[in-house]
Amino acid sequence: MSETPRQITLQEWDRGYERLQAAGVSQPTYGGPLGRHVDEGDARLLKLRFDNSPAALRLWNFLLTEEDRLRAARDNGKKLVGAMKDLGTVPVMAYSLDNLVAFYPDGAWWIPCVMEVNSGLLQIADSLGIDESFCPVRAMLGAFVTEAHFPIPDLLTCSVGATCDDFSAIAQRLNGLGYPILWWEIPHRRAPEDNEEGVHLPGGFSAPRGQIEFVKAELERVRIVLQDLAGRSLDDEALARGIVKANRVRELLARLREVVFTATPCPMPALEMLIAEMLAIHFCSDQDETIAVLQKLLDEVHRRVAAGTGYSSVQAARVFWVNPVADLQVMNLLEDCGGRICGTEYLLAHALDPIPPDVPPMEALAQMALADPMVGSAVDRAARIVAEIRRFGAEAVIVSRIPGASHCALEGEILGEIVREECGLPVLEIEVPPLTDAVYPSLRTRLEALVETVANRRSR
Amino acid sequence: MSRRAILALPPRARRPCYCALAGTRQTGLMMLSSIESYMARSEKIIAYTCPYVPAEWIAAHGLRPYRLIPLPREGTPAIPRLEGLCPYARAFANDVAAGKDVDAVVVTTMCDQMRRVFDLLGRRTDVPVFLLNVPSTWQTVAAQRLYLDELKRLGRFLVRLGGHEPTREELARVMLDSVGWVGPPNALPRVWGPLLNPRVSSTDTSLTRGLRTHPTRSDQRHPEGVPLAIVGGPLMQRDRVLFDTVRDCGGQIVLDATETGQRGQPEAFDRRRLAEEPLTELAQAYFHIPDASRRPNSELYQWLKEELARAGARGILFHHYVWCDKWHAEFTRLKEWAKLPVLRLDSEGEGEMNSARVRNRIHAFLETLQ
Amino acid sequence: MMYAGIDAGSRAIKVVLIGEDGLEVVAKGQVDQGVEQDRLACRLFEKVLADAGVGRSQVRRIIATGYGRNAVSIADTTITEITCHAVGVRQLVPAARTVIDIGGQDSKLVRLDGNGRVRDFAMNDRCAAGTGRFLEVVADRLGLSLGDLGPMAAQSRSPATISSMCVVFAETEIIGLLAAGRACEDIVAGVQTAIAARIVAMAGRNVEAPVIFTGGVARISGMETALQTALGQPVAISPEPQMTGALGAALLARRQQDSY
Repeated sequence: MSETPRQITLQEWDRGYERLQAAGVSQPTYGGPLGRHVDEGDARLLKLRFDNSPAALRLWNFLLTEEDRLRAARDNGKKLVGAMKDLGTVPVMAYSLDNLVAFYPDGAWWIPCVMEVNSGLLQIADSLGIDESFCPVRAMLGAFVTEAHFPIPDLLTCSVGATCDDFSAIAQRLNGLGYPILWWEIPHRRAPEDNEEGVHLPGGFSAPRGQIEFVKAELERVRIVLQDLAGRSLDDEALARGIVKANRVRELLARLREVVFTATPCPMPALEMLIAEMLAIHFCSDQDETIAVLQKLLDEVHRRVAAGTGYSSVQAARVFWVNPVADLQVMNLLEDCGGRICGTEYLLAHALDPIPPDVPPMEALAQMALADPMVGSAVDRAARIVAEIRRFGAEAVIVSRIPGASHCALEGEILGEIVREECGLPVLEIEVPPLTDAVYPSLRTRLEALVETVANRRSR
Repeated sequence: MSRRAILALPPRARRPCYCALAGTRQTGLMMLSSIESYMARSEKIIAYTCPYVPAEWIAAHGLRPYRLIPLPREGTPAIPRLEGLCPYARAFANDVAAGKDVDAVVVTTMCDQMRRVFDLLGRRTDVPVFLLNVPSTWQTVAAQRLYLDELKRLGRFLVRLGGHEPTREELARVMLDSVGWVGPPNALPRVWGPLLNPRVSSTDTSLTRGLRTHPTRSDQRHPEGVPLAIVGGPLMQRDRVLFDTVRDCGGQIVLDATETGQRGQPEAFDRRRLAEEPLTELAQAYFHIPDASRRPNSELYQWLKEELARAGARGILFHHYVWCDKWHAEFTRLKEWAKLPVLRLDSEGEGEMNSARVRNRIHAFLETLQ
Repeated sequence: MMYAGIDAGSRAIKVVLIGEDGLEVVAKGQVDQGVEQDRLACRLFEKVLADAGVGRSQVRRIIATGYGRNAVSIADTTITEITCHAVGVRQLVPAARTVIDIGGQDSKLVRLDGNGRVRDFAMNDRCAAGTGRFLEVVADRLGLSLGDLGPMAAQSRSPATISSMCVVFAETEIIGLLAAGRACEDIVAGVQTAIAARIVAMAGRNVEAPVIFTGGVARISGMETALQTALGQPVAISPEPQMTGALGAALLARRQQDSY
C-alpha cells in the first residue's frame, strides 16, 4: 500500500485497516486496528491524527501494546527492570541479557493524556501528597499503586544527583511507599579543569576522567545487581553485544531524524517522530522489534522522499522543538498551524548518539550517561540545540515547558536567550499540560503567531 | 553579635557569619582571635547558602565565608517571579546578582533549582561562581569520596581567587577554633553551630560517628508555650519571624529542623581524627547532614526520630516554599510517619510568616494540641 | 442563660444563640460581610437577641470565630474556625470523623478522633482554585446563579478537564472551552471536579468515614457528588452547613463557661 502521505483520524485508520488486510500487508502479532485501544480506555486516540502509513500503524500498535509484552515477558520467566530517570543506560545493560526486560516507568506520564485523565492516576498521586505542582510523571505513582498499567518490576533503578527535583521527589515517595530502589548517582557534568584529564563525550561535551570513573563505579553496582537478578554473568562481552544492538537502534533513529528533518516536504509527522525517538530510551520492552519498527519507518520515509511526497506543505515553517509534550495532541497542532518538525531535543539527545564501540563497555556507558545534556548546564544543552538548529535549518524554536518540572522555570530563559543570541531565531515558550483541550485556543494562537513570524521573516 | 548587626556593617568590616542563625533570638557565632588572623589575610568574601559548604574550609584558605540567607531584597529584582521557580533560589540569586559585597559564590547541586541558578548566575553576573557537587547518594564510599574530591576542587577555586592552600595544621586549627555557642556556661564549645553535646567532655575524642547528638535549646524554653518542632528546607531571613509568630500564638519552637537551623549543622569533630586528617574529618562531619534531598533520605527520618523525642515536641510545623519539590513531597510522608500532628506552612517567600493566614493556621494547630 | 457564637467569615457573618442546655438553637442570623466587620457583627448579634426576645445580660459568654474573629469587640474570646466547625458538625452529626468545609475564600479538611476532637487538619487559604470563589467565577462567566450550577452539572456526561492551578487562568480555560463549543454542563462539572480534586490533594490517604461536608459551598448542589467521586466514598451534607462554625463557637462558649 502506498497512499499519498497524509494525516488521518483513528476512524479513518480503522477503515483503512480493512484495506490493509485485504491487500495482504503483513502486520506483526501485536498489530490490529487502533480502535481496539480506545475500547481499552485510550480515549485520546480519538482526538489525534496519525500518519497513514502501515509503518506508522505498526509504530502505534507497538507503543500501545507494551503492557501486554511486559506481562508476557513475566509469564515467560523473564525478569523485569524498571529503569527510572534513565534515558538509555541501564536498559542497554539489561537487554544485554536475554532473560531481562527493561522498561521506563516514567513513561506513565502519558497515561493521563492517552486515557484522558480517567485512569485516576493523578488522583492517586494527589492523595499521596504529590499534587499538580509536580511534573505529570507523578502519574507513575498511581500506576505503581494500581498495578494496572505495567507489572511491578523485579528491580527498580533510578539515577539521582544531577537530575530534576520533581522526579527525584516522586521516586523517593515511591521508595517511601515500600518499593526498594537501587539509586545510582550521576554527578553534574562539568568541563575538565587544567589539572584534570579530559574525556570527549559523544555529542560534543567533555568531562573529567574522574567523573567517568565515578559513573563507571556506579554502573558497576548496577551490573552486579542485574547479574544477581538474571542469575547470569553480565560480562564485558555480553555488554559489548548489547551495545552493538543498542547502537543499531540509535543508528536507525539518527538516519530517520536526518532524513525527516532535512527533507521538504516533511515526510513524517511530528507525532510519529516523537514516538519513534522515545523508543531509544528503553526499546518499548522489545529491542528486536524496535529495530524492525524503526527500519519500516525509515523505509517509508525514504520512499516518500524519493517520490517527492510528504504530508506537509513545502512552505511549512521549520520548527525545532525542545522538550517532550505531556499532551500528544499538541504535535498535531504544530502542523495544523502551518509548522513542521525540523529538529528535536526531547531531553534525550544523548540516547540518540552512538555508544562508543571502541572503548570498554562500561567506559562507553559511563561516557554516554554523562553525555546527557540535562546532566550538565543549560548552557551546554543550548549549545547542542544551536548546533542542531543549524544542521537542520530550523527557522523557529518552541520550548515546551512541562508543568511542574523543576528545570523548566529557569532553563527556558537560558535556552531562549542563547538561541536568540546565536541563531537570531524567534523562540516561543509554551506550557503543555496533560490535557490541553481547555487551553487549545491560546496554544493555537501562539503557534499560529510563530508561523506568521517565520513567514514574515522569510519575506524580508 | 546579632544577625542584624552583622548585615548592617560595611562590607569589608563585617564579621564573617559562619552559620545561619537558628532563630531570631540566637546570637551569631563568635570568632576567636586565631581565626581572625586568618581573616585579616584577605578581604575577599565568599558567599554560599547551602549547609554542605564547610565554612571552615573557606576560612582556612584565608577567605571570608559568608552564609548568605536571603532577606529577600526589596526593589526590582534581576530575576522576576517565574512559575516553577523556587522563591528561595530566586531570592538567593537576586541577592548575589545585586550584592556588591560578594567576591565569589559557591552553589551546590542539592537541588535542580540551584543547579539552574548556577547557570543563570554565570550568565547574569561577573561574580565567579563555583558549583559544588554534593552527592545525593550517601551510602557508598564512592559518594563520600566524591564529596571530599569536590572540597579539594573547591580549594583550588579558592586559591585561584587569592586564597592560600592551608596546611593540615592550619585547617585543624581553624576547625578547632571555629566555635560558637549559646548555651549553659559550663557547656563545652564544639565545632560549628550554637548547639552543644553535653556528653562530650574536654578529653573525649571519640564522638559517636553518624549520630547527631544535639540537645535542645534549653535557653529557649518558655514553660507556658506548647513545644513544637519546625521541619523543612531553608528559611529566608524575613521568614524567621515565624518563631515569634509561634510564640505569640502560644507555642515555642524547641527543635529547629530546617536547613538554616539545627538540622543544617555538621556533626561534631573527632579531635583525634581532626589532627590526623583534618580535611577528611571535615568532609565526614558535613557529609552526613541529613536532608530531604538525599537518596534515600532515611537519614533525615532517623535524625528526626531521635531529635523529636529528645526535644519533646508535641507537634510539627512543616515549612516549604512553593515549588520546592523535594520538601513539598515529604509533607504527606512525614504526616504518615510522624506520631505527632503536622501542620503545613507553604509560602511563596513574600513574608507570609507573620500574616493573618499563617497565624490562623498556627492558632488552629495549637488548639488541636491543647 | 444563653451562649453565643459569632462566625465572622470571609463572605458572611453568622450568629447562633443556644440555650443553657446546649441542645437547642434559640436563634440564629446571617448578614453579608462588609468593611465595618465589628459594627456588622454587633448589629447582627443585637438583631438575633431581639428575634429571640432575649436581653444582652442573658448571654453569659460569646465566642467569635472565622477570619474576622479578632475584629469582633463583643466577643469574650476567640477560637479558630477549624475547632468551631468540628464541634458544630459533631453536634449535628455525632458520628462524623472527617469534616470538609469549603467556603468562599478557603477550604479545610478536619479529621476528628473518636471523641470528636480535632486530630488533624489541612487548609487551603492561599489559592482560590479549591474554594467557592472558583464556582463564582464559572457562574459569572456562564451567566448563571450559584443555585443553577448543581442542576446544570448533573446533566454532564463528560466533565471538562480544567488544568490550571490558578482561578484566573482557569477562567481563560473556561473561555476556551466555550469557544470550542463545549457544553456548559461539562464546564460546570469540570470546575466542581477540579475543586474536589484539590480537596483530595489536601486530604491525602485514609479519609475516615463518615465524611461531612459543610460551609457555604455545601449548599451548592452537585459539589457533594463531585467530592464523593473524588474521594471514592459517601459524603453527606451537614445540616445547616453555613451555621456550623457559629454553632460550634456557641457550644464552646458553653463548655468554657462550664469549666470556670
